[in-house]
Amino acid sequence: MTGTRPVSAVPMGIIAGILAVAAGSFFDVRPPEAYGVCMACHARDLVNWTLNGVVRTHLDVAPASLFFPVLTPIGVLIGALIASKTSGEFRWQKPDSSVKAFLYGIFVMNFALLAGGCSIRLLLRTAAGEALGLIGFGGMVIGVVLGTFWLRWRATQ
Amino acid sequence: MTAAISTFIIGIILGYLGQRSRMCFVGGIRDFVLVRDTYLLRGLIAFGLTAWLTFPMTGLILGSRPLSFTNPDGVAVLLTIFGGFGVGYVSTLANGCPFRQHVLAAQGVRSSIAYLAGFLAGAVIFHSWIEPLLLRFLP
Repeated sequence: MTGTRPVSAVPMGIIAGILAVAAGSFFDVRPPEAYGVCMACHARDLVNWTLNGVVRTHLDVAPASLFFPVLTPIGVLIGALIASKTSGEFRWQKPDSSVKAFLYGIFVMNFALLAGGCSIRLLLRTAAGEALGLIGFGGMVIGVVLGTFWLRWRATQ
Repeated sequence: MTAAISTFIIGIILGYLGQRSRMCFVGGIRDFVLVRDTYLLRGLIAFGLTAWLTFPMTGLILGSRPLSFTNPDGVAVLLTIFGGFGVGYVSTLANGCPFRQHVLAAQGVRSSIAYLAGFLAGAVIFHSWIEPLLLRFLP
């Protein structure tokens, strides 16, 4: 948490909130509802749509991505790359453990698809007034709190 | 095509802002529990509040009915709690939500690139094995 933060988290959250709702309401990123931004579901759409086209599988894709997939993950990677390159923060870093990170990725994606959204979309669904979204978001908050306790406990051992 | 182009552009904007602000959607809760730091938590709350206010406003502009959601049954509630819990717990261990991992991967953090590889593989695993398994054993 050092260095300058030209953009603070609050304006980032506000802009993200407006764009996430606008994507669903004005730019056809639906159905399902409240689907404007989701790192897990959109990555799933992108992977499954590509595999379906290339190796003729029949993996699930959200209706919004039937003809052409949503490209949020690629956009985020490009945007963050531009930001890190222009600010000089881009640096190849050695991994702590690639295998562990790989497994974390598998697990988070599976849990997210089970809940119907990553942390962003669970909150977006909650904001849209969906009861199930609130339930998922509540589960996520409990998960983060327990995970943090676990990290703290492990650090004291 | 509209959805693809708009999400691509929105993704670039969010990726850029996310890198500059270090935004993370689980990190806020973690930092608050650990050290009572509210920087990221305020971003999370700002996102939720803005979306909550923007949904009815776009409804007014478009003159559309409020969003309709199906009533969840017991199984869906349990799966959603379990899934949400897993997202929160494992994301905390992995040191960031999926969005933050995308940003870190684009910054050259190699473990986040490994995370993303697992993330994409996870989608195929879920729809090839986990989902059929669940559909078979759940009512």
